[in-house]
Amino acid sequence: MSRADAFRLVSRHGRIGCVASITVSAIGISHIEYELPSEAIELEELHLRGLLESPPERLRQFGFARAYLSNRPGEEAALKAAHRLMQRSRVPTRDVAAIFYAGAIPQSHTVSGCGSGNLFNYPVAQLQYELELERATAIGISQVGCMGLNSAVAMARDFLISNGHAQHVLCISADVLPPGAKREILYNVISDGACAVLVSRGCECNRLRYRRQVTKGYYWDSVGKKNEIIAAYFPTAQHLINSTLEGAGLTKDDIRWIIPHNVSRRSWEILLDLVGLPIERLFTENIARVGHVIAADNWINLRDMMERKLVDSSDKLLLVNFGFGANWACAVLEY
Amino acid sequence: MHIVFVTGASGTLGEAIIERLRVHAEVAHIFALTHRSAVPAGIEPVWGDITAETDLGLDARTAEKIRSEATIIIHAAANTRLSAAPPGARHANVGGTCNLLNFAARCRKKPRVIVLSTVYVAGRRIGTVYENELEHNAGFVNAYEESKYEAELQAQRRMGELPVTVVRLSTVIADSEGRVTRLAALHHALRFYYSSLAPMVPGSDNSPVDLVALDYAAKAIVRLALDGQVLSTTYQVCGGTDCLTLRAMLDLAFECFVRFRPAWRKRAIERPAVVSLRTFELFVRSVEEIGDEGLRASVGVLKHFAPQLAYPKQFDDSVLRAALPDLEKPVIREVFPKVVRCLIECGWELTRPVELACR
Repeated sequence: MSRADAFRLVSRHGRIGCVASITVSAIGISHIEYELPSEAIELEELHLRGLLESPPERLRQFGFARAYLSNRPGEEAALKAAHRLMQRSRVPTRDVAAIFYAGAIPQSHTVSGCGSGNLFNYPVAQLQYELELERATAIGISQVGCMGLNSAVAMARDFLISNGHAQHVLCISADVLPPGAKREILYNVISDGACAVLVSRGCECNRLRYRRQVTKGYYWDSVGKKNEIIAAYFPTAQHLINSTLEGAGLTKDDIRWIIPHNVSRRSWEILLDLVGLPIERLFTENIARVGHVIAADNWINLRDMMERKLVDSSDKLLLVNFGFGANWACAVLEY
Repeated sequence: MHIVFVTGASGTLGEAIIERLRVHAEVAHIFALTHRSAVPAGIEPVWGDITAETDLGLDARTAEKIRSEATIIIHAAANTRLSAAPPGARHANVGGTCNLLNFAARCRKKPRVIVLSTVYVAGRRIGTVYENELEHNAGFVNAYEESKYEAELQAQRRMGELPVTVVRLSTVIADSEGRVTRLAALHHALRFYYSSLAPMVPGSDNSPVDLVALDYAAKAIVRLALDGQVLSTTYQVCGGTDCLTLRAMLDLAFECFVRFRPAWRKRAIERPAVVSLRTFELFVRSVEEIGDEGLRASVGVLKHFAPQLAYPKQFDDSVLRAALPDLEKPVIREVFPKVVRCLIECGWELTRPVELACR
C-alpha cells in the first residue's frame, strides 16, 4: 500500500448510533456526469396533476420550483450518464475495477420491462455489460434511501484502499418514481434522474478527507415515524456536522461551501442557523432548478459548481446528506 | 382561629393549599371556590366565578357569609393556560383579581389577601429578578405572563388600602416525591423529548430553569397566609439559586429516560439542540406552515413557554427566606428524576393511579 493510500479507520459504538469514520488521502472524485429527463414540470402543473401534497405556494416558499419527470427507465438514464462520464474521462474501461449501482426505491434494482417473474435482472450487471467494463466487479447498493450514491462513493474509496491494484470505481445512482407517484416527500419536491461519479486513486481533485455516517434504526418506519424523523433530522445533523468538522481537524471557517442534498431551503436555514454556518456558503440554486434528485443531489450540485468555477483549488467542501433508513452522512472534500 | 376563603380550589395548587389548611390547627373553616362537587371533609364548597363583577358570582347569602367571616383570602384562581389569547387571559387574571380585591375590600374583618402570581411577570427581562421589582418594559413571552403582570399592578395599587401579599411562583413541577397530578407544559415537553418530537429548544446551555416542588410552594403560601408578621409585599417561591441549567436539565432528563426505561436507549434519540430564539421560531413557523398534526402538537406546547429560556434570568427569594428561614426547600436535582420516573411509569397518562405509578 502506497503512502498516499495510508488511512485511518475508526469504528466505535457511540451514543448516537453506530458511527464509522475514515480519513484517507489521494483518493478523490475525478469525474461527475448526470442525466435529467428532458421534461421539467412547474409546481402549478404538478399540483394540477395531483402529484403534490402541499399547495404550490408553500413549496415555493420552501425553495422549490419544478420537478423533472421521466417516462423512461432509470437504468437508461444511468447508462447515459455513465457513458458520457467514460467518454469524457477517457479512462480505459479495463481500469475500472468496480461498478457500484445505487437506487433508493426497490424498482431501481430490477431492469424494467422484464415482467414480474424476473426478480434477478439487475441493472448493475446490465450496465457493466453495456459499458464494456468487463473487469469491473458489479455490486448494487440499496436500503439507504437518498444516501445511495454517497454510500457508493464511500464504499468505492474503501474498495480502492483495500485493493491496492484497483485504479477507478464507477458509482452510479438512478431513480425514476413510478408513473403517478406523488412528487412530494416530507415536504420536498422529487425529481427523477441519474448521476455517475468516478472515484479514482491518485486523484488530487475532490479528495475525500473525512466522512462520518450515523444510522438510527429507530426511525426505520419512514411513514409511521414521519414526524419523529423530521424532528430528529436537525439535532442529529447538527451533531454529525460538528463531529465531522472536528474529525477532519477543521473549523467552520475552513469550509468554503456546503453542498446540500436538495431538501427544502427552509430546512437548510434552520440547520445552518443551528450549526452556526452562514447560509451564503450553501449552494442553493439547484433546489429550485432541479429539485431533490433522490440520491444524486450532492454530486449534481458539485458538478454544476465545478462547471461554473465556483470552487477553487484546496477549497474545503462539506457534503451533507440524509436518507431514509435512517441515515445521516457528512463528508469533507478538498477540491 | 382563621376562616379562609380560597379561590381556584380545584386547581393543582389550590388543592395542595387546601390540604394543608385542612389540617392546620389555626384554621377553623375553609370556603373553597371550586368547580367540583366532591370536596374533602371540613371544606365548604362554594360556587362562583371570579370574572363576575358582583360578589364573584356567589349567591348573595354565601357572599355575605364569607364577607362577614373571612380572615384570610387566598386567590389561587387564574387562567394558567400559556397559550391563552390575550383577552381570555386578561379577563380571568386581571379582571378576576380586581373583582377579588373589590370583594375583599368589603369584607368586615379586613382579611389578609394572598394573591398568587408568577415569577414570569418578569417577562423578557434577563438577569437577576428581585422580589421588590415589578415594572419593566421588556415585554412578555405570552399573554399569561402579561395578564399576571397587570394583575400584580392592580394588587400593588391596593396595598395601601388592603393587607395584600403577592406570592410569585416559579414553575411547579410536581410534589417533592415526584407525583404529578396534572400535566403541565413542562411535562408535555418531557414527553416530546422522550418521543423524539422536539428537536430544539431556545436559549443557551446555561439558561437557568427554575422549578419548584408543589408541596414546598403550598407550605410557603399557607405559612405566609397564616403568619401575622407577614407584610404587604411580594415574595418569590422559586428555586432561586437551586436551579438547573437548561443543558443540565436536558442531560438529566435523558439520563433518567435511560435509567427508568433501559430499552429506551436503543432509540438513540438525540438531545434537542439548544438554539437561538430566531432558529426556534423559524422551525415553529415551518411546522405551522406544513400543518402536520403530530409536530404541531409538539411545537404548539413548546412555543408558548420555551422562548422564556431565551431570556435567561435568576429569581431571588431573599425576602421569602428571611420571612420563613426554617422552610426547607427540596433539592430540585433530587426531585426532577422522581418526576421523570413518574411520567415514564404512567406513560404521561394520569388517568392511571399515579400513586401506584410513582411508587
